[in-house]
Amino acid sequence: MRTYVLNLIVHRLLIAGLTLLIVSFAVFFATAMLPGDTATILLGQAATPDAVAGLRAAMHLDEPAVFRFFRWLTGLIQGDLGTSYVNNVAVADLIGGRFVNTMRLAGITTLVSVPIALTLGITAAMFRGSLYDRIVTVLTIGVISVPEFMIATSAVLIFSVYLKWLPALSFANEVTSFWQVLKIYAMPVITLAFVVSAQMIRMTRAAVIDTINTPYVEAALLKGASRPRAVLYHALPNAVGPIANAIALSLSYLVGGVIIVETIFNYPGVAKLMVDGVSTRDLPLIQSCAIIFCIGYLALITLADIVAILANPRLR
Amino acid sequence: MTLSTPLSSKFSYSFSWVGMIGLAIIVFWAVIALAAPHIIPYPIGEIVDEDYFGPMSSKLLFGSDYLGRDMLSRLMMGARYTVGISLAAVCIACFSGTALGMAAAVIGGWFDTVLSRFLDALNSIPSKLSGLVVAAAIGSSINVLIVMLAVIYTPGAYRFARALAVNVNTMDYITVARTRGESILYIIFSEILPNIMGPLLADFGIRFVFITLLLSGLSFLGLGVQPPYADWGALVHENISGLPFGAPAVIVPSLAIASLTISVNLLIDNLPKKIRDRSA
Amino acid sequence: MNSKITNWTASDDAMVENAIRRGATRRELLSMMLAGGVAMSAGGLILGRASDAIAATPKSGGNLKAAGWSSSTADTLDPAKASLSTDYVRCCALYNRLTFLDQAGVVQMELAEKVESADAKTWTVKLRSGVTFHDGKSLTSADVVFSLKRHLDPAVGSKVNAIAKQITDVKSIDPTTVEISLANPNADLPTILSQHHFMIVQDGTTDFSKGIGTGAFKLETFEPGVKSIFAKNPNYFKSGGAHVDSFEFFAISDDNARVNALVSGDIHLAASIKPRSMRLVESQPGFVLSKTTSGNYTDLNIRLDMTPGDKADFIKGMKYVTNREQIQKSVLRGLAEVANDQPISPASVYHNAELKPKAYDPDKAKFHFEKAGVLGQKIPLITSDAATSAVEMATIVQQSAAEIGMNLDVQRVPNDGYWSNYWLKAPIHFGNINPRPTPDILFSLLYASNAPWNESQYKSEKFDSMLVEARGLLDEAKRKEIYGQMQVMIAEEAGTIIPVYISNVDAITEKLKGLQANPLGGMMGYAFAEYVWLDA
Repeated sequence: MRTYVLNLIVHRLLIAGLTLLIVSFAVFFATAMLPGDTATILLGQAATPDAVAGLRAAMHLDEPAVFRFFRWLTGLIQGDLGTSYVNNVAVADLIGGRFVNTMRLAGITTLVSVPIALTLGITAAMFRGSLYDRIVTVLTIGVISVPEFMIATSAVLIFSVYLKWLPALSFANEVTSFWQVLKIYAMPVITLAFVVSAQMIRMTRAAVIDTINTPYVEAALLKGASRPRAVLYHALPNAVGPIANAIALSLSYLVGGVIIVETIFNYPGVAKLMVDGVSTRDLPLIQSCAIIFCIGYLALITLADIVAILANPRLR
Repeated sequence: MTLSTPLSSKFSYSFSWVGMIGLAIIVFWAVIALAAPHIIPYPIGEIVDEDYFGPMSSKLLFGSDYLGRDMLSRLMMGARYTVGISLAAVCIACFSGTALGMAAAVIGGWFDTVLSRFLDALNSIPSKLSGLVVAAAIGSSINVLIVMLAVIYTPGAYRFARALAVNVNTMDYITVARTRGESILYIIFSEILPNIMGPLLADFGIRFVFITLLLSGLSFLGLGVQPPYADWGALVHENISGLPFGAPAVIVPSLAIASLTISVNLLIDNLPKKIRDRSA
Repeated sequence: MNSKITNWTASDDAMVENAIRRGATRRELLSMMLAGGVAMSAGGLILGRASDAIAATPKSGGNLKAAGWSSSTADTLDPAKASLSTDYVRCCALYNRLTFLDQAGVVQMELAEKVESADAKTWTVKLRSGVTFHDGKSLTSADVVFSLKRHLDPAVGSKVNAIAKQITDVKSIDPTTVEISLANPNADLPTILSQHHFMIVQDGTTDFSKGIGTGAFKLETFEPGVKSIFAKNPNYFKSGGAHVDSFEFFAISDDNARVNALVSGDIHLAASIKPRSMRLVESQPGFVLSKTTSGNYTDLNIRLDMTPGDKADFIKGMKYVTNREQIQKSVLRGLAEVANDQPISPASVYHNAELKPKAYDPDKAKFHFEKAGVLGQKIPLITSDAATSAVEMATIVQQSAAEIGMNLDVQRVPNDGYWSNYWLKAPIHFGNINPRPTPDILFSLLYASNAPWNESQYKSEKFDSMLVEARGLLDEAKRKEIYGQMQVMIAEEAGTIIPVYISNVDAITEKLKGLQANPLGGMMGYAFAEYVWLDA
């Protein structure tokens, strides 16, 4: 079994390299297709033909984009993420601190949301059709039906503006104590937990219910096992694959999709960096961010696949 | 609903009761969407209130928005976009995602690997970037918007369907069917699909919510719904400044979104047993 | 409501109720009833900051925190490249200009002691002595020569390259004297030098990330797209220097989040808030709005060289169908002044008050549209959130046009790349022009036949010759007369519809004192950090 999983990881790693390359090419072509380049965007309203030509030459943007892309790729192989076009700072420096921020926020949100989501999902499945199940369903859907910016704005209004318990901005203050960390992360984490939990709760519930109906769980029930016991020991292991995938898909949102939370709470993360990169056509920055998002996503889904295989002996 | 046994009749009655409410709300919004152009009290671009974020009144049932336009009219017209576009996009995304996912699970091998990695790659391209590219290259129209939404949500549907189908694919009865020499299409649609229908429908419901919300995000990239029209998500967004005062302009469209998405999910949860569970 | 007031409706009732809930005073309610428009109440709540500021005595100390509205990895400390308000604020904290404009729009000297010319063509700038940069070096004429000449080099990417082109040479006469030669006489040079881009940097600077200037603050931290922190410069040449000990500046792009951060006490100033956010600020005690009307505008541009703008009647029709009052009242909630299709605002002494805005007149509009033969056609109108309030303006024009059978197809395009892809290019589109200190700059940039941003492709030889004539004139009365005529020409002949001049509104805590309006823009012409103080 261990060798099987090892093989899978090696196989996935090889293919991941290929996937990254494809993503990188796709991002390059997409960026190239966008109208305007860094020089015209930076000059904005002042983009007269002379000024654009001059700035382009000064920024070394006058050589074909393909050359620049391949130079970036060869640099990447040597571990160099390149230099940002717009401010001449190494992309690694731009990303560094923000990447840590993003991972921290994603990590805390995961620790909060996954246990809650699994508990709610599994218990809802155990008591399917009950009032409890209904309430969980309505609340879950109700919560994600509210747009993210509205959850965040409401939280700020309640906890910062009216109650004055928490700071409205996550990075306006220096962090010195654990209590402050808690205060700073409370609202972004709650907002994100709301957003990512729903899919996990719903999919967990559905996957567990689906396996409850399989013959062997029914057999366990007939043999006199209690419903919770049947669910936990017989149905759940079989539902782990789909649940792990749902969790992976939900969590992948936390790597690159948290732009709204970053904006409203003024939290410097990589999602905003990507948006900046796209709006200034800063190819090395866009590429580097895209690679980070892609690696994050591939890691999560590979983990989900491994968990699925470990949980279902037949898949080996 | 025939009375077979007291227990099951009690259950199926209560299931359909909640399901019926869900269905009724969906039908209600669908009717509003279809009839909207004929029943809105004011043109949706007309400023009918000197004030902004006006309260509910007999003249303006749902108050006025940030420009002083009639919220009721805007909400009704918004139903056309939110209900129509979201439903179309979610159907395309779930159908293609599920079909491909089951095929990948059953066929396996290189087909599975190539398709899986391709969709992984697709999912890794930031949607803002692809949205901008599509807006710049193809231009804006409702059809483009629907396809775009469907493309963004297909990889997720695929991954979930594949994970479910892979599990089922290892069951004995599939092996039996294979040795019987059944075609791949038969195995997919007769053996696998009925057995994973429940979770797939749940996935459909959740994806519908996501699409409803992303819709307005893409409109801001210049894809799709154009002013003065706005989908419900966009209505919430443009009136969010009214939130501190509980303005109906921001509360009403939020409730509309919630009512629709909750109804869709309740309906799915309470579909007659025959459809949503294994046909055992 | 059975009162004797005739024009009083239920919606007016609701309006007053709203106002009371928002904490309006009796006097305000009264003026509101008299005016019969809620827009007036918005105006009434704007406090006259100037009188406050003069009465109070500045206090020293404290950490000032303020938030602008946009920031990205493209943030720069190079004044020549500065493009966003956040760049201006940072540069104002770090650097100085030769001259600056005071509250009344009058030129004052900053790093210069005198800027003089006999013929308006060759100018002598005498520098203040004893000014030092943050690194201890003294300011000399070489720094000024370097700072001004940079704008002529296309590789620098200067935003004012088009204006700087009239400078033919900058020479150092002695360590404190600089001579500037112009291609043609221009009496406005001292005003031109007050623009933010013409800030003085150190000779030979290539790396601007250190922010070495002569300004009231020294740079402590600069993270593009995140934040900047500045500390008070103890060796500032102006007596006393800044009042606050440190200054932190960043951007919160979401309008509501910015206002929320202010009212929850995280920041002292939230720059440029949307009219629809005013109500929250007004409802909270301890916060005030600071309004600046300085000639910023969003205009609807119809290119005269493309269909349908090549038909004069189409443009006339569009001017009559634009409901300026409604844009002023509903879109901007009164935080604007109705304009008359030309760029010189009432804030300028050269504004031609006799030129009245065209009144909204659907019948006349319909007549002209019929004459142009465009009724029934679907005409695309490009708009974008990139230009302030342009989407709302577009929907208002669209609605008015629809009522007379004119079908305008509003197309909202992304902010992303708007200025390089649609602005100046689409047959009918929106633009947004920031205030400029002189009519000459506005006309040269926007309406001369060879203007780089000729939004409607307006070409008139008569206009061009008047522009050159006025530029060299030192006779103010004559100059004003010529500029007055040019405003009429633009309003009548060009394809740019300027419905209103938009006010900039900064929301601040009452603890922040000393903030005054400035014609160069919001936040005291972006230079507020040096002048304000915090009242504990």
